[in-house]
Amino acid sequence: MILDAKGVTKVFQGPGKSKMVANDNLSFHIHEGEIFGLLGHNGAGKTTLVNQILGLLTPTSGEINLMGESVLQSPTRARSICSVQPQSQIPLGFLTPKQAVTLMGKMRAREKFNPKRVEMLFEALNMGGWANTAGEKLSGGARRLTAFCMAVIVPGELVILDEPTNDVDPVRRRYLWQVIRQLTNDGTSVILVTHNVVEAERAVDRVAILHKGKFLAQGTPSEVKGSISNQMRMEVSLAKGLNEIDVPSWALTSNHKASRLMFSIESSEVPLTIEWARDNVDKGHFIDYSLSPATIEDVYVELTSEKGAV
Amino acid sequence: MMSMLSHYKHVFQMQFLRNAGFFVVIAFIQILISIGIVIGFTYLIPDPSTSSILYLATGAPTIILIITGLVILPQQIGTAKADGYMEYIKSWPVKRSVILGADTTLWILLTIPGIIVSSIVAYFMFNPGYDVSWTVVPAFFLIALTSIGVGYGFSYLLSPAASLGISQVIVFGALMFSPVNFPMERLPEWLQSLHEILPIYSMAEVMRASLAASTFTAGIENYINLLLWCVLGYGGAIFILNKR
Repeated sequence: MILDAKGVTKVFQGPGKSKMVANDNLSFHIHEGEIFGLLGHNGAGKTTLVNQILGLLTPTSGEINLMGESVLQSPTRARSICSVQPQSQIPLGFLTPKQAVTLMGKMRAREKFNPKRVEMLFEALNMGGWANTAGEKLSGGARRLTAFCMAVIVPGELVILDEPTNDVDPVRRRYLWQVIRQLTNDGTSVILVTHNVVEAERAVDRVAILHKGKFLAQGTPSEVKGSISNQMRMEVSLAKGLNEIDVPSWALTSNHKASRLMFSIESSEVPLTIEWARDNVDKGHFIDYSLSPATIEDVYVELTSEKGAV
Repeated sequence: MMSMLSHYKHVFQMQFLRNAGFFVVIAFIQILISIGIVIGFTYLIPDPSTSSILYLATGAPTIILIITGLVILPQQIGTAKADGYMEYIKSWPVKRSVILGADTTLWILLTIPGIIVSSIVAYFMFNPGYDVSWTVVPAFFLIALTSIGVGYGFSYLLSPAASLGISQVIVFGALMFSPVNFPMERLPEWLQSLHEILPIYSMAEVMRASLAASTFTAGIENYINLLLWCVLGYGGAIFILNKR
């Protein structure tokens, strides 16, 4: 086991005597070669948790062990076991991606560093074109990819990626997931911190949903989806306004955004729903529609909107 | 030990290359400031005596070290805190003292061009009566480390806005209200007592005593004062860096 966290609680002292519970009794573990998704809204307590794993913050109570040893006993050891891509952009200044990634590699591996790995990474992510451009002149996506490379050039046993795909174009996102998969094939474990739930679902082996400092659900994506596994999700592109159509009475939850209408239904209602949708297409109310199994995002939205904790 | 040396080297390279362009500008500005002190103040004082010029010429290096450690450095730390770079550095797999050491080396190197150029210019323009003692090397390091250490201490401790404010007060206070470019006796008594405690006066005394050894001497209390401030500054900085 790479990481074992038991009852991690972090309370921040607010102004006056007020207290803010950022992490509330969190327990979880991560195995070798596993991708663990940490999902949650802004301010859910994700970064606080990561900072405690790195030993940058001390838990108010609870314990975090990295490879069998407490983080608190040796924070420097924790920082060499983990390599991190922070959520905020790294201000690279005059450093070029090549310099920044090479130096981080040398810092982590010392004389065992293999400079060929820089070339391989840049090629895998198709970023050779900016390799020698000063960081301050790079686009947001290029800087984010550089920060990603700095985290994985000489990966620790645990790589922590905080929103790695922000600002990155869709083509390079795919390359990035391939690089992450390769890492785990070599036995490296990954914590993926994100609020981009759709993307995470495809990548993670196990997932935890963090809301207001508590885990609302934890397990493999299919386990987490278990609670709503019988549900389907209908998505409709509206040709006209919403007030011209009636949302079916059997819709469980519905959600309307610009010209998109989304709602979930029990799978037994599929034939009825398709009939309803076809009818609306014929009348010219819909441009198209799609029906798919419920996603982690649906679970996420459902759980976090209920506010309750398990 | 080997790993610390290797870490030191790579942290140094990272920090140097990240700021390379900025450092060139800063070094150049410092050359201008230090020359400006030597020449500029002679406009302020009509018919300056050789002793006034010697005060200015031996005060300029101290001003450079004060501006670097107590003004530019805190501004840099403030920026690094604000843009999240400080948090990132803290996640590096190296000891915090190694980062502090590598950064200190950079800041020290940054002061050298200004000090050398201004001293040479002063020598050829005014021949103010330099008498450089061997103590100039340890004195330079003691003053530089004190200034940088204290700069680290308060900029790590305080918010970016607060340390920016302090650094503004220091730059004005060091130039106009500190016995660096003129003798202590000209100041009112309460300021004299304050300067017995603050490190600026001791920095100036130690620097003068090694650049014009036949004219000035520094007391042991000046060395002790600097040592205490140096330890206080670095101690505070390391304490705050390791605080969790």
